[in-house]
Amino acid sequence: MSEPLVIVEDNKGLAAHLAAAKPVSAFSAKQVHAAWTKYVRGAIWIARPGPIVKLLAEIDPLSKTPHRLLLIGSPRAPERAFLRAIFERVVAPDDEIQMLKLDDLFEVLGSARRANLFIGGAVAPAAKSVVLIRGDLTSLVVPFSWFVARLHGPKPDFSAFEIIDYGQTIKLGDYEAAADAVLYEFDAEFRRQERKRRISDDKSFGGALRRLRLQRGLGRDDFPGLSAKTIARIERGDVKEPHGETLIRIAERLGVKPDEIASF
Amino acid sequence: MAYSLRLPGKFKQWKVKIRDRETVEPPHATVLRKTLAWRINLRTGEFMDAEPDPSEVPKALVKVIEGEANWRTLRDHWDSMYPHNRVESEEKNEEESDE
Repeated sequence: MSEPLVIVEDNKGLAAHLAAAKPVSAFSAKQVHAAWTKYVRGAIWIARPGPIVKLLAEIDPLSKTPHRLLLIGSPRAPERAFLRAIFERVVAPDDEIQMLKLDDLFEVLGSARRANLFIGGAVAPAAKSVVLIRGDLTSLVVPFSWFVARLHGPKPDFSAFEIIDYGQTIKLGDYEAAADAVLYEFDAEFRRQERKRRISDDKSFGGALRRLRLQRGLGRDDFPGLSAKTIARIERGDVKEPHGETLIRIAERLGVKPDEIASF
Repeated sequence: MAYSLRLPGKFKQWKVKIRDRETVEPPHATVLRKTLAWRINLRTGEFMDAEPDPSEVPKALVKVIEGEANWRTLRDHWDSMYPHNRVESEEKNEEESDE
């Protein structure tokens, strides 16, 4: 279930862009206060910096509630500091963060599956990572090393980062990565949802091992100390529960914890 | 570079892609329209996921994708992009020889 959307309205009709998502509109300080206290588990707020700061300034101090805010437009530094003190998380476009084009952004925010779409992100060269912002305003950190270049394929160009296809593709120059592949790798909850929606899926441990092994680009003979035949037998289900030591060796080679394999 | 199937003009809101980084098993092409995506298994020609509803993809578009030349092109591109997990899996043969 997606979090509710609250739009702090101004005279530019923000809510009209998101009508399909049936957002709650707040035009006054009283309405802002009402929405703040109603959604105790938090909501996604969308606003331009000026109007929301003005309305928040008119009301009494607010309870600590995990609301997240997406600003349409860059706030000035003091406004940003003020909003960061109140909201659990504030996302705003600036020189570092690349956001989707506005029309695409509204399309993603209006989608029931917005948490599984990316609305923007930033490249952190010093950390050798890409920070991706999801439609529920949470973030995911993906190391550069995950964006593997194919043989004879384009190399990822991290200086040309953008999000395209309504949040479904991460583009790094000529290189494109599927958003669902990123989520499948880095979000166990997404993997659970993903396996649930598949029409036919080998739900066995062996099936998961095979998917993960192929995702890592490994052959069955790429597991030191284990024969290709052993891996094949596990994948086929001839061996239901590999022994502890075997499982540890497999997990180490795949770069996951032993109990994570079955989630793939 | 990601492979994008060339589609007739009437499907201008749609894309059919194989990107440089995908979940590789099973081999598939992704049909994209705005925030929605449908994956088609390149081994079986079947939609992989129950959601979004596969019937939302126009039959005429499925026909274009699974037309002989386009289908072969998609499968060939997959094989060249992901040679370790080809559409016609070589591992199957290995399994049989293990028996």
